[in-house]
Amino acid sequence: MSFTFRTSFLALAAGASLLGTSALAQATREYTPVTDEMILNPPAEDWLMWRGTVDNHGYSQLDILNKDNVGDLELAWAWPMADLGLQETAALVHDGILFLQTNNSIVQALDAVTGDLIWEYRHPLPEISSTWGYQIYQSRRQKNSIALYDDKVYLTTVDAKIVALNAVDGKVAWERQVNDYSKGYSYTVGPLVVNGKIIAATSGCSITGTAGACYITGHDAENGEELWRFNTIDDPNNPLVDASWGDVPPENRWGGTPWATGSYDPRTNLTFWGIGMPAPYAELVRGSGDGDALYTNSTLALDADTGELKWYYQHLPRDNWDLDSPFERVLIDQEIDGEMHHMLVTVAGKNGIAFALDRDTGEYLWSMDTIYQNSVTHIDDDGTVHINEELVPTAIGQQVMICPSVSGGKLWQAASYSPKTEQFYVPLTEACNNVTAIQAEFTAGNATGSMTFGPRVLPEGITEAGLLQSIGISPDTPEDAWKHRQRTSMTSTVLATAGGLVFAGDAGRYIKAFDDESGEVLWEQRLNAPVGGAPTTYAIDGVQYLVVPTGYSAAAASSASMFPEVPLPSGAGNSIFVYKIGSATN
Amino acid sequence: MVMGAALAAPASAQVPPGLLDHSRPIQGDAIRVCIDEASVIRDFDIAVAEAIAASLFLEPNFQRAPGGFPINAEGYLEQLEIAMANSCDLLMGVSLLPTSPFPEWATVTRAYASVPFVLGVIDPAYARLGDIPFDKVLGTAIGSTGEWAMITYQLTQPENRRWRRLPYADHELMLRRLSDGSIEGMILWHPSLVQLHDINPDAEAVRLIAFDPMAEPIVRIAGLVSSRDTFLRNQIDLAIDVLVQDGTIADLMDEFQFRGTAGG
Repeated sequence: MSFTFRTSFLALAAGASLLGTSALAQATREYTPVTDEMILNPPAEDWLMWRGTVDNHGYSQLDILNKDNVGDLELAWAWPMADLGLQETAALVHDGILFLQTNNSIVQALDAVTGDLIWEYRHPLPEISSTWGYQIYQSRRQKNSIALYDDKVYLTTVDAKIVALNAVDGKVAWERQVNDYSKGYSYTVGPLVVNGKIIAATSGCSITGTAGACYITGHDAENGEELWRFNTIDDPNNPLVDASWGDVPPENRWGGTPWATGSYDPRTNLTFWGIGMPAPYAELVRGSGDGDALYTNSTLALDADTGELKWYYQHLPRDNWDLDSPFERVLIDQEIDGEMHHMLVTVAGKNGIAFALDRDTGEYLWSMDTIYQNSVTHIDDDGTVHINEELVPTAIGQQVMICPSVSGGKLWQAASYSPKTEQFYVPLTEACNNVTAIQAEFTAGNATGSMTFGPRVLPEGITEAGLLQSIGISPDTPEDAWKHRQRTSMTSTVLATAGGLVFAGDAGRYIKAFDDESGEVLWEQRLNAPVGGAPTTYAIDGVQYLVVPTGYSAAAASSASMFPEVPLPSGAGNSIFVYKIGSATN
Repeated sequence: MVMGAALAAPASAQVPPGLLDHSRPIQGDAIRVCIDEASVIRDFDIAVAEAIAASLFLEPNFQRAPGGFPINAEGYLEQLEIAMANSCDLLMGVSLLPTSPFPEWATVTRAYASVPFVLGVIDPAYARLGDIPFDKVLGTAIGSTGEWAMITYQLTQPENRRWRRLPYADHELMLRRLSDGSIEGMILWHPSLVQLHDINPDAEAVRLIAFDPMAEPIVRIAGLVSSRDTFLRNQIDLAIDVLVQDGTIADLMDEFQFRGTAGG
């Protein structure tokens, strides 16, 4: 089944501004609904979700663009994003349409070949009240906030709604208020859609009004009806949770935000999510003593139909430094000597430690340091993580030097796994900062501030902030395959392709193509702003396209003190640059 | 009078420069005063700002200050930087604390009031903090100066002479837990208790007792201006001086039933 529509007018979704029609495409299009089968096995030509596939590989099977011809890439078109903000987006592509989510819950549909605007949706937010400061801030940093399924584009919004847009015209099909935004809940990342269910992760869980609850929720994709919800900081089914908070009641707990879109294994119907730090950051303040504060900084394996917890693994217990561990969980299968190994591999947190788990059981397989870090001293063979207790603040105002910095190490920029090389490509930053546990109370009587962070500095003996590290993956032990070090920090998500290329961008405004086996830089292009968001790729009529998002980058700005000779632009410049290679086949 | 400045303060890492207004505002004899609408001293701050403005022959133009941030303050200084660049000449209600991380683009005025934290109990057996058995639980207003003082005091004591402490963001919830016996005492800012009296009759049962042997925590309240506005800050400091000396601030504190003293 497909839907036919004419892009002869700009669909005016609620709140959209009226634009002239002269710039609009005049063509008849067909839009093929995205099926469950497509979600599990996406056409190589499309890019249907944040990391391309439900296993979060960030890998494209396209090889029209490859090591031999990457130097011939040419710009097809470019497009300025619709609003200012931190640029952390991922463009999705299906049926020749590029769907671009930008800050402030704006979605645009563009012709993927020409770059012509087809429709635009601007989410109408409630009147901004004085108690909405955090949501305003959050709205400028929304990332990968859309997913495609059936004939819909699903958008998670800063006012804690899931909105279903018709993919053909951008009109609202339905919207669902999932959490109470007036308490502080919002969305920062987009949903995972599998088996007709939308699975979404809540943000804003360190706001005072959200005490005791941070959620991952499951919804019917037809209408948004809520099917289940899982609380990441309170689990009556697991008495270890209360004990891990030092018996601090749930109503006195905060944190546990899942900051990155989860992955899914259709074989077991499990969905895997990373969870962020506890709040307040310092145990001195949160009152949890030396408890681990479950399920913060953990991987959760949930039944996709019910939300039931199957297992968890905590990557950083007893976090005292905002070194949260919510980043992408990547599912990797390898057959060795006739035995299939089903792994979950992740550089879970800011401290850059790579982990491999058996994703059916949560059993720890191995771990490996990447950047210099001092928060974890060692990890036992059974996976028990031992933190550096010397760095736990023992007094208010005490300053400790933590590596990496609060900006990572690793951050939201996702790694990529290539089944072709069996290597895992991780964007990292070498950095340290002073961390001080304080009671700020910046405005009298208000609870805002329990930690300060000093400027980012390079670890002693290291002169290059940026690191793209390739890790050879196996069930038994990781291999340090290759490293690319450079002065400027890595600021984009990574894309690996069957063409033998690894794309990653940096604070110095370069998008680079690396040889996936050697790390040699095969191509680079300097753009208008730091490279951010997620480079993605698609193909239409024999032409392969590469989408490179650029713009204002908190990752670049916060690490710029480590490479002062590379000035950042003062303009935001949020844009996508679309390169192409190959010849049209029809 | 023309308020404003010629130069913009440098942006912090998280603020796209395009969001900062670099123009020189022309606003006649008005001063843009930003107020945290959610603050428990909102009305007091408005009254003090009106008095400051009147003494400088300015008309206060009240604006909403950014509010509603996480307890880890994520995003707060970024939004405040935008507000101070674009819409605020003066932000009221800032705590003057040794640990406050005042950014380089802002500076504080002198304090216009000093208001203490209080320790509230229900059990009539208690006359001072030291009377509360160590196996009882105390509640503290999370992220507050009172909590800081409590944590710091406890760290000076042997472990068997420390109370268990739970942080509360919702003062009504803390009052409910005091009433149901989950906690034995609550440490909160006095204006918060005044507000509780206005909205919850259970507050009538709360008695205030001495912090002894711990020192009484006190918050000194000041204004915040852009670091570029040194002339404005000097004028406001002079105005606060006069309002403290002539009893205006003390009268306002009495009107709002706040404990403490005028000035710093």
